[in-house]
Amino acid sequence: MARTINVVPQERVPKTFWEKSYVPEIMRGLAVTIRQFGRNTFSRKENRDTFTIEYPESGTSHYPERYRGRHRLMLREDGQVRCVACMCCSTICPANCIHIEAGEHDDPTVEKYPAVFVIDELRCIVCGLCVEACPCDAIRMDTGVHMQPRFDRTTAFHARDEMMSRGGLSLATKGGRDAVNEDYTW
Amino acid sequence: MPVLTINGTEVEVDRGTTLLKAAAVAGYEVPHFCYHPALSSPANCRMCLVEVEGAPKLMPGCYNQVNDGMIVHTESDRVKRARKAVLEFILVNHPVDCPICDKAGECKLQDYYFAYDAQESRMRAEKQHKVKVYPIGPRVVYDGERCILCTRCIRFCEEITGTGELTLADRGDKAEVRTFPGQDLDNDYSLCTVDVCPVGALTSRDFRFKRRVWLLTSTDSVCTGCEMGCNIHLDHFRNTTERYRPRYNPAVNDYWMCDDGRLSYKALNEGRLEHPMLNGAQATWHTIAGAAASKLAAVIEKNGASSVGFVISPQATSEDLFLAKMFAETAIGEGVRLFINGNDPGSSDELLIRADKNPNRAGARLVFGGLDGVGDASALADALEAGELEAVYMMGTELGAARGRVEAGLDDVGLFVLQAAHQGGVLLDAAHVALPAATHAEKRGTFVNCDAVVQTVDQAYPPNADALPDWQIFMKVAGAMGHKLPFTFLRQIQDRMFEASEAPEPEETATEEAPAPAE
Amino acid sequence: MPEWIITIVKILVIVFGFVMGVASLLTLVGDRKQSAKIQNRIGPNRATLFGLDIQFFKNLGISHFIADGIKMVLKENTIPNGANKFLHGLAPSLVFLPGLFGWAVIPFMDTYCTGDITVLANYQEVCSGEEKRYFQIMHMEVGLLYAFAITAISVYGAAIAGWASNNKYSLIGGLRSSAQMISYEVAIGLSLAGVILVYGTLDLNEMVRMQGHQMWGIVPMWGVFVQPVAFFMFFLAGMAETKRAPFDVPEGESEIVAGYITEYSSMKFGVMQLGEYAATVFIGSLVAIMFFGGWQVPFLYGDGFHFGTPTGTPDVAVPYALIVLLRIGSMVIKTLFFVWLQFMMRWTLPRFRYDQIMTLGWKILLPLGLANLVITALLSAIF
Repeated sequence: MARTINVVPQERVPKTFWEKSYVPEIMRGLAVTIRQFGRNTFSRKENRDTFTIEYPESGTSHYPERYRGRHRLMLREDGQVRCVACMCCSTICPANCIHIEAGEHDDPTVEKYPAVFVIDELRCIVCGLCVEACPCDAIRMDTGVHMQPRFDRTTAFHARDEMMSRGGLSLATKGGRDAVNEDYTW
Repeated sequence: MPVLTINGTEVEVDRGTTLLKAAAVAGYEVPHFCYHPALSSPANCRMCLVEVEGAPKLMPGCYNQVNDGMIVHTESDRVKRARKAVLEFILVNHPVDCPICDKAGECKLQDYYFAYDAQESRMRAEKQHKVKVYPIGPRVVYDGERCILCTRCIRFCEEITGTGELTLADRGDKAEVRTFPGQDLDNDYSLCTVDVCPVGALTSRDFRFKRRVWLLTSTDSVCTGCEMGCNIHLDHFRNTTERYRPRYNPAVNDYWMCDDGRLSYKALNEGRLEHPMLNGAQATWHTIAGAAASKLAAVIEKNGASSVGFVISPQATSEDLFLAKMFAETAIGEGVRLFINGNDPGSSDELLIRADKNPNRAGARLVFGGLDGVGDASALADALEAGELEAVYMMGTELGAARGRVEAGLDDVGLFVLQAAHQGGVLLDAAHVALPAATHAEKRGTFVNCDAVVQTVDQAYPPNADALPDWQIFMKVAGAMGHKLPFTFLRQIQDRMFEASEAPEPEETATEEAPAPAE
Repeated sequence: MPEWIITIVKILVIVFGFVMGVASLLTLVGDRKQSAKIQNRIGPNRATLFGLDIQFFKNLGISHFIADGIKMVLKENTIPNGANKFLHGLAPSLVFLPGLFGWAVIPFMDTYCTGDITVLANYQEVCSGEEKRYFQIMHMEVGLLYAFAITAISVYGAAIAGWASNNKYSLIGGLRSSAQMISYEVAIGLSLAGVILVYGTLDLNEMVRMQGHQMWGIVPMWGVFVQPVAFFMFFLAGMAETKRAPFDVPEGESEIVAGYITEYSSMKFGVMQLGEYAATVFIGSLVAIMFFGGWQVPFLYGDGFHFGTPTGTPDVAVPYALIVLLRIGSMVIKTLFFVWLQFMMRWTLPRFRYDQIMTLGWKILLPLGLANLVITALLSAIF
């Protein structure tokens, strides 16, 4: 089947002599940058256009709701970890930063739990795919706390219990219903 | 022969063929749970229902046989609606715990749900609860909730092993698979029930929760547990073998393999000899090949080749053994004392388990033209005790019952070169030169099984640490001794080897030409 | 004081105090803070100085700058396999040193007069005592030629760096940079021909003195007024010579990594960078000298401010020491302004495409310079 390609000729606006010479245009550009430079250097703080947010002094209140921060592991009603070690997060993780070793739980209704759950924050690219992949609302990145710089690499490995200590209660059921966010509402 | 039309395609099949198989010939897969090509057909899952024109109801494809002039539809709306209904019915009580379930990723129910159902559950009542972790046998765990009562495992134990431990207990939605009182699912093939289970109801204690199956890569290989050489899928993840699964080969093992063989993968990962060792110190291949060569040459020069004991391994591939033969003949020289080590004979049965627990003794026999002049491990021990050997060059660490005597004898030997994939406990300590070899998962090669079937293994992943395939080690050491072995690729060795022996070349495409019937 | 001690002091103050100070500060203020301000950011303001949490230093980003310098020195110095070790080491010096040598002829002030100064009606200052050249390292009649002869050497630096790195990206970068610099040297030379015609001298200090003259008694005879086209050309070509944006095609992340600097690490890399900044300052000072009256302050002469005819008592008498300071300050401020302006250009314009650069150099600047030269010559002949 022959394909028809429609070509719409575009009328180019011819440049004037001064536009071709660039000089006035460069001057206009310079005027913009110099105006910004002057305003952001010499005027008072509140009149500046600076949009940089200085964390952590400025806090995180202006962050969007879906901002991704440090990981945390959510808890069941009885305080145990919600994670069932299904490895969906470690499978989807593009940085291969999640290491899980599953264990057999004493409670047959739980059956499988993460005996080891370590996130290598050095490798983590904070993409949030682990949260999306989690079928159990067990891992969240809603702490609002940035990934911290550190002096010692060993502190970058966040173990299960550490992430559980940041975790909160989740009663989410299938389809994400009842997944309330009662803590870390910043 | 009957000619029938399946979805508009005319096929001619043998009388007695089931509709399901006929559809497969026509190129249509009919979904099924309870049907297994090696087992009888109870037609109880109703997943394989197909529409036959003229028949008032849909017919189970796994049970009904073809008739001349039949017009069958396997993809009609009616069939699809039926499949959807069957799946919905199964899922009434099947828990959606795929995140926990080990079968997720290779689960028939999961696959068919996405292919034919893919709707949210309309079931509002509580699901039936049963025992989740029921210890049905020493190697198998049963989950009653996940079971869809296809009875494949029951039929396997009745028809294949003939042990018949399993049965269905209770009725309706309370029905569960149970063993007969006083029995365990403890036959030698019990882990095959895990394979035949279409869902995650039966799980292997060994593999349970260890690795998600979608992370595994599968390589075609051969089990080295005994001389049967069952064909396997070697499933590995990040250069570690995680499990064996039987691979269909009607000439050897059909769909099955024994539990001992299945669990023999553990040896691939444990106790490995990682680096070349020279008198207990780690060395490089460059220095170690030179050191082994000069030490060996010194012994040969001083006491002659007859003072060297060269121990071949029936665990090695035929290519490795062929190079071992060339090495012994050229580098060590005429008169070298040949021995063969290996595991002691064990139990056997009529199905798959063979007494000789070494995968390639037949190959060694072919390569060396019979093993008449080759002593076994106890002969090696005798020779050591008699002080006839000044040097021992040993492939592999399997010594069987003679292990203690050999180990004691090796203490007095002037030179002990160990070329093995494993440390072998005391053997590594006794070795003056230790050369790390690759396991069969880490190299390509050929095994000859007890029925003289020549089978190839594929390389699943690169050799662990510094290890090399045995044939490359032989070439290194021989080269350092001034006897260059003229090979670069395994293929060249194979050409020479098959030329030298009468063994037929393995037909690598054999399985591809006749694809395994869908399980 | 012996002459050589004075020379050494001059070198120390001008080259190491001023040029190096400004050039290295530019890496911080120019590259980081200025760009941040233009782009509505803040720029580095986190690092503390020796752990002292002083907001002022933090805001200036001084510690970032120091840390950067220390990092440069402490990093591992690598030479790629197969590179020519001698040339690989030589190239950074060839890039960097011309930027410093050129300063030998830059006058920061007129000759220091030990006696009284009389200003003549034709704006000339006549010194009754001895004239000492305290504010110019080396007096040279052909100072301008010297300056350009020296700066031209840095072409070799870039080309050699590209060749000696044993890296195809470096080689292409080196080729690009040498082609670009040679093209624009033509434009620079032609633009200055007009200036030389007007002032009739190659002595930079003499040139600045000439710019103390006034046209019609009100407009200082700065180069920018008598040779506006030349100023435009020189400023443009000068920026191209420094290889900074918008003329930074010798580097290009996506195409050739960092060009001829790709294989340089440690302080060799630092020296390459400093060389670029030193060249920026040098171009800035030349613009100030040739087109904006160098050390001249408008209406300020050897004895004070004269608004009108410079003879007789000055309108505002200024002590000579203050005049010296004012004139040095004038030169420094003008230089810094043009450095600042070059950076503003950098953050204003997108980079040229390579063929555009060549078109600009050969097809626009070259004819323009020739036309400027002819017209200037005609006008000089007529008036």
